[in-house]
Amino acid sequence: MARRLRALLRSTPVRTALVLVAVIALVSLTTFSLAYLSLRRDMEANIGANIDQHLSGFRIAATPETLAALVAAEAAGADPADRIFVFLTSDGASVGNARAEVENGEVQLFPRPGGKALGRLGYVSRIVPAAGGLLVVAESRKPLTDLEGAFIRLSVLNLVPTLLISVGGAVLLSLRGARRVARIEATLEGLAAGDLTARVGETGQRDDLARIGAGIDHMAAAQEAATTALRQVSADIAHDLKTPVQRIAVLLSDLNDLLPEDSAEAAIAARAAEEAERAVAVFHALLQIAQIEGGAPRLRFVPVDLTDIARTFAEIYEPAAEDSGHALSLTLPATDVPPVMGDKGLLGQVIANLIENALRHTPRGARIDLSVADTPAGVVLTVADTGPGIPPGEEDKVLRRLYRLDRSRTTPGNGLGLSLVAAIADLHGAGLRLADNAPGLTVTLTFPAAG
Amino acid sequence: MQPRMRQVMDRSMKILVVEDDRTTADYILKGLRQEGHVVDHVADGRDALPLALSGAHDVLVVDRMLPGLDGLSLVRALRAARVATPTLFLTAIGGVEDRIEGLQAGADDYLVKPFAFGELSARLAALARRPKAQVEDTVLTAGDLRMDLIRRTVTRGGVEIDLLPREFALLEHLLRRKGRVQTRTMLLEAVWDISFDPQTNVVETHISRLRAKIDKPFATELLKTVRGAGYRIDG
Repeated sequence: MARRLRALLRSTPVRTALVLVAVIALVSLTTFSLAYLSLRRDMEANIGANIDQHLSGFRIAATPETLAALVAAEAAGADPADRIFVFLTSDGASVGNARAEVENGEVQLFPRPGGKALGRLGYVSRIVPAAGGLLVVAESRKPLTDLEGAFIRLSVLNLVPTLLISVGGAVLLSLRGARRVARIEATLEGLAAGDLTARVGETGQRDDLARIGAGIDHMAAAQEAATTALRQVSADIAHDLKTPVQRIAVLLSDLNDLLPEDSAEAAIAARAAEEAERAVAVFHALLQIAQIEGGAPRLRFVPVDLTDIARTFAEIYEPAAEDSGHALSLTLPATDVPPVMGDKGLLGQVIANLIENALRHTPRGARIDLSVADTPAGVVLTVADTGPGIPPGEEDKVLRRLYRLDRSRTTPGNGLGLSLVAAIADLHGAGLRLADNAPGLTVTLTFPAAG
Repeated sequence: MQPRMRQVMDRSMKILVVEDDRTTADYILKGLRQEGHVVDHVADGRDALPLALSGAHDVLVVDRMLPGLDGLSLVRALRAARVATPTLFLTAIGGVEDRIEGLQAGADDYLVKPFAFGELSARLAALARRPKAQVEDTVLTAGDLRMDLIRRTVTRGGVEIDLLPREFALLEHLLRRKGRVQTRTMLLEAVWDISFDPQTNVVETHISRLRAKIDKPFATELLKTVRGAGYRIDG
């Protein structure tokens, strides 16, 4: 839930909406505040004018007695909660609808004993010396407080629905957008994994996401068409080439039947058959590389234990290596190695090709070390030999199709073994490195951990 | 590709071959008939369907690329009609994808062109005699060779023979198919679970190691090489 919320907050529509909402809220609040302040100033001025008017009314009284009589008359008609009139005589007595006391130079107002209560919201007051005493006129702050309350209510009534509607809308939009973005992501992942039938399938909408989706679909359709065409062409070539090769093999076999066994002619027929088989092997390898580069095998990837495969192939090649005077060794870590995502058959073929490569290109007595190691960079498969190695600068070239080092022209092999290794490494997202084993060649494949 | 060494099978099969290439078809028909099988042949996938649907054949050989109805569709149609006749696909395309596609369509085995007749013959024999569910043997024998599957021991003429685990597995596979040829590729698939063809003679080297232990010290040879085809245990 928290993760979904974070993902939601990261989405573009929600972010945009939140910024907009903040701006709207800020503008509204500023407008309301300015209006409130202006109104409040007017109201305060009004109250002040009111008080001044009352004060000027009292100014006609010349003696304390007349002032006291005037104040008493005004106070009798006023509620002390709204308005207070007090004349504080020089001897400290209060005349009016409240009682006043001077304390530290400040006048404090209290209700008269037995009189009405004062307002709780405070007063705006003026105190002027008059007729030997102090004249206090105060107006309740209630209208100001009422104004404040009204503005707060107004702001809330205005902002809350705006905020709710904008945030809700943004979340809805982004959820819909997120679904569509997720669909685009899933499609791209599918395509990258070799599922060329993956499509976004945007319909109806005419927005930017729809255009991106349609673009991806268009690209995927073109890729699928090209791959299908390539497959069809490969299949046609395979059929049209292999059927005659099959016929050649059949004819050579028939010829062999007619020739006396162990004759020179029979030997030629047998060699011709071998050459036909070699042509097929080259063709088969090229076809396989093309299929692997198409990425389709990635759909079948499962977690695979490389140590199992290494063990199997070390065992398969051990007698052959011994027969050709090579020392094939296997080094595995003592603890379990994390699985890699891959195709067991193809990974086996990688190990087989690397071992065969080493057997073919190293002299008798050379060592071939096959190992699997668990490193921070991933699971590393290494095939190292102590043969002549690869001349500096040729490392990349040997991965090219049909490329052969000058000195290898006479050894068997078709120059496709390492190309196939490179294609399979690439399919698995594994880093392939050819390095000097001083002397010899070290081939390492670093597989990303299965996730 | 060595028809000279073809052996006649102990049991005749009725086989339907669906192959449009005349030369390849003739080669297959000739070889299978020499082995004593009864063989029907059609070149068109549509003609093959009613014949195969009759269920009269022990095994089918179907080329993947056929006029009329392609091999994949033919086998799918048969499996949909619940005809389970074991089927071997012949194909010009040998990629893993094609192999998986073929097996998913319902084929039981898969052979890439060009192939040696010995390979086809050995695979058809294996298909027609798919091991049925039966009581597991605990002892396998060939001549004076005895394999105890429970104690994991092998003796010949009472002499105990020390085998590595994979040599034991290889010998067990051959003993269970006594008298029948197992090709290099069949052994690679069954014993090592490898479906590609290594360039090095790995099977030969394992066979020679096994032979050095079970045959060399003794008078008669049990593990035979069938030229152009594979290996067989007799006895």
